[in-house]
Amino acid sequence: MAHLPPPTALVTENWDEQTFRVHREAYRSQALFDAERDRVWARNWLYLGHETEIPNPHDFTVRTLAGRPLIFVRDGEGEIHAFLNSCPHRGTVVCRENQGNAKHFACFYHAWTFRSDGAVSSIPGADAYHRDEAFRASMALRSVARLEMHEGYVFVAFTPDVPPLLEHLGDAADYLTMIEQQHAGGMRTLPGTQLYSVRGNWKLAVENAMDGYHFAPTHNTFVGYLRESGFAVTDDDQYAYTLQNGHLLLVLTGHGGRISMLWEPRFGEDERVRTAAHRAEMVQRLGAERAHHVADESHILYVWPNLLLFDIEGLSIRQLEPVSPGVTDVRAWQLVPREEDPDARALRMRTVVSFVGPGGLATPDDIEAYEAVQRGIEATAGGGEIDVSDMSRGMADEIKGVQGRSIDEGAMRGFWRHWVDAVEPGRWSVTGPRPQSFVTGRDVR
Amino acid sequence: MSAVLDTVKRSDVEDWLYAEADILDAWDYDAWLALFEPGARFEVPTTDFRGWSPLGSGSFVTDDWDLIKARVKRLKSRKAHAENPHSRTHRLVSNVRLHAITDPAAPLRVGPVSTDVAVTARDFGDLSHCLRVTASFVVHRARDGRFDSYVGRYDHVLAPADDGFRFRLRRSILGHEVLTAGARLSFIL
Ligand code: FES
Ligand SMILES: [Fe+2]
Repeated sequence: MAHLPPPTALVTENWDEQTFRVHREAYRSQALFDAERDRVWARNWLYLGHETEIPNPHDFTVRTLAGRPLIFVRDGEGEIHAFLNSCPHRGTVVCRENQGNAKHFACFYHAWTFRSDGAVSSIPGADAYHRDEAFRASMALRSVARLEMHEGYVFVAFTPDVPPLLEHLGDAADYLTMIEQQHAGGMRTLPGTQLYSVRGNWKLAVENAMDGYHFAPTHNTFVGYLRESGFAVTDDDQYAYTLQNGHLLLVLTGHGGRISMLWEPRFGEDERVRTAAHRAEMVQRLGAERAHHVADESHILYVWPNLLLFDIEGLSIRQLEPVSPGVTDVRAWQLVPREEDPDARALRMRTVVSFVGPGGLATPDDIEAYEAVQRGIEATAGGGEIDVSDMSRGMADEIKGVQGRSIDEGAMRGFWRHWVDAVEPGRWSVTGPRPQSFVTGRDVR
Repeated sequence: MSAVLDTVKRSDVEDWLYAEADILDAWDYDAWLALFEPGARFEVPTTDFRGWSPLGSGSFVTDDWDLIKARVKRLKSRKAHAENPHSRTHRLVSNVRLHAITDPAAPLRVGPVSTDVAVTARDFGDLSHCLRVTASFVVHRARDGRFDSYVGRYDHVLAPADDGFRFRLRRSILGHEVLTAGARLSFIL
């Protein structure tokens, strides 16, 4: 149902009353979805994929990002490209395979062909064109405006006027580096992508990932499973950070086990020995303090606007693709050490898939939660003052300057401040003196 | 010809698969667990599956015996929110075919197999008395005012037992390109 957004504030932040409210039109309005497409997705760095998805010359995969079909390809020289998957001739989708290895992409419509570096390799009957060489040169596959990579994570932008990628990533960049540093040989993605779709707004998926408050009630059955395996689940020592440029971070030090880094009984004796050896190697390589940050803490990192990294028991990359206000496509990859003992790998896959992913023991309840939110927010449509969601939890601590906990809603507030600034900057109301504590990032370098 | 195919009739396997479908549609998860051998596996590969081993790829489900039991325990709980209230499901099973397991190194998969590590019979212990059963399934699910369908192929390894069969490997391979909206696998596929 299309309700026009009300002329009121979309985000209301009141420090006298210690309330933070988000207007529910933000989750259901087509007009706001269109504004997001223009103001966020069309002019920001977006996560495209990991370079290890296309390890060999001429490997390619196709992917739709912000509604635009793309070809993500490595050319014969090893260079990575992202082309708009649209024939420069008349617009046909050039590559209609999902993935593979190809020196050429052939458009079936009039049989123009392109090399994996985008250049035209043949145009049937090219002599019919005025100055056919110049014409051919002008008809290469169209690239995205910008493409840069950090630690193997490939980002693209559809407009050229974005800052350098590292500037955009800010403090988030180091968390990607910390993942790469977990193993001396680095990390790679595995094939077998979890592709699924949820009936909920993309922002609900971000909120859910940053919401430690829901863990115990929503994941009751998973917590029960962990407890039975001797894992003490606790909310202690878990903190939330708002990084610059809309990125968010949960640091979960009270959350135990991490494959090959932090042992716990359910991982078994062999893994205890492997973990100890690996930890000693990490201290050698990184120093004790850095090794501590890399290995002892679990992180959930959100990189504005479409990347979520679950660096928890194992490692999952999750990419969000908004389809409509109420539907989001999700793609998830497992990230693993390039070299890994087969027993450790078996433990990793079993552990990570059992929790994260649409067939796991926990993620289906998350999906149920945000799909239920999406259905429920229709109830208050047009309801004026009651048509808002509350995200006030933890504001009192923020005033005191206490670091926000993961079971508070501080990371979500950081998200919505960034969102409203990017999408509808005028429609934000702040009442009372705002404490500065929430803008702090986190420095572990 | 393998001995097991001389003694097992397709109609026996069909009856057994139909009974399993009824058990799942009735949400009788204890009865479902009893259809497995201790030590069995349950797998649902991702929709882009090319025969990869569950160690060399992501999966939707890659349950060992402990996780199968944990999954059943979870689904029996009222706190499995994704299935409370339960979805209503209706399963159709057809195109049932029996295959002998003759080559322990052969990939356990119908259709083309990736050059990447495929799961082979050998990974599942001594299979000389077992058989592979392939079948097609359609699972219709009604939930939250929606009606979704899941289509795919079973590729199971069954061990004959006195009262029918037991799963050594229960694998559901989706025919979809993606899991469509609302299609999380919170029930047994
Ligand atoms: S549209 Fe591609 S060759 Fe004509
Ligand atoms: Fe959750």
